[in-house]
Amino acid sequence: MVAIDARFLEELRDALAEHKVRYLFIGKGAAILQGFPDTTQDADIFVAKDPENAERLTRALRQAGAEITREEADALRRGKDFVEIKGEFVIDVIHAPDGIETFEDAWNRGREIGGYPVCSLDDVIVSKESANRAKDRETLPRLRNFRRYLEQRNRTPGRPLPRPTTGIEGD
Amino acid sequence: MKDSRPAVPDAAGGQEIDPADLVQFEIAARRTLRRHIDLSFIRTHRPVLDEGPSRSFDTMAEYREWCERELPDWLGYGRN
Repeated sequence: MVAIDARFLEELRDALAEHKVRYLFIGKGAAILQGFPDTTQDADIFVAKDPENAERLTRALRQAGAEITREEADALRRGKDFVEIKGEFVIDVIHAPDGIETFEDAWNRGREIGGYPVCSLDDVIVSKESANRAKDRETLPRLRNFRRYLEQRNRTPGRPLPRPTTGIEGD
Repeated sequence: MKDSRPAVPDAAGGQEIDPADLVQFEIAARRTLRRHIDLSFIRTHRPVLDEGPSRSFDTMAEYREWCERELPDWLGYGRN
């Protein structure tokens, strides 16, 4: 097992912000960024589906060190629901996560934590409930406990994301 | 070893948090974000998934079906 240096994620975050990519961390990674103690072997990002955003995403991923192949760039441009980007760390680009209606809805419920835009814990849980894989069913009781823990302590991690829904810093 | 401490009741709904989870949540809450990321984003070899070129799927349903068909059960990507 190899730990990924936080700098990798910071470089990814900074490149995505610089190119004004409309995205949110989702999945267990989003919960981890909100303080959930667990491990993940990939970073899932929920990306707004539009060709211009895909172009910005491709440029940002390359800037962050990912070697995007022509096939991957094409899959991103076409807005395929699931595009895997392999490199130092696996990044799963998701355009249509289970259980979430639209990117805008998720953005409006999301949080910004240390510069990382993340889906709300409620959305992470709903998405895992909808996916209903064995590994989701295993994680969900602890995730619900973590949500309860935050509620009990009146803690909401980070701050609301800026509006309108045009990127972390807005356009 | 099973934690013998009583579960902590939730003030709002009377639900309880598993004491073992509670300890982990409190420890994690004391970490910096950077340290927390260092400990949480890890790389291990996942058979099939980490082999070969990257994959993409038009729909999530196709991706889920591929995972169920191609990945070993113990990876946990199956829905049954």
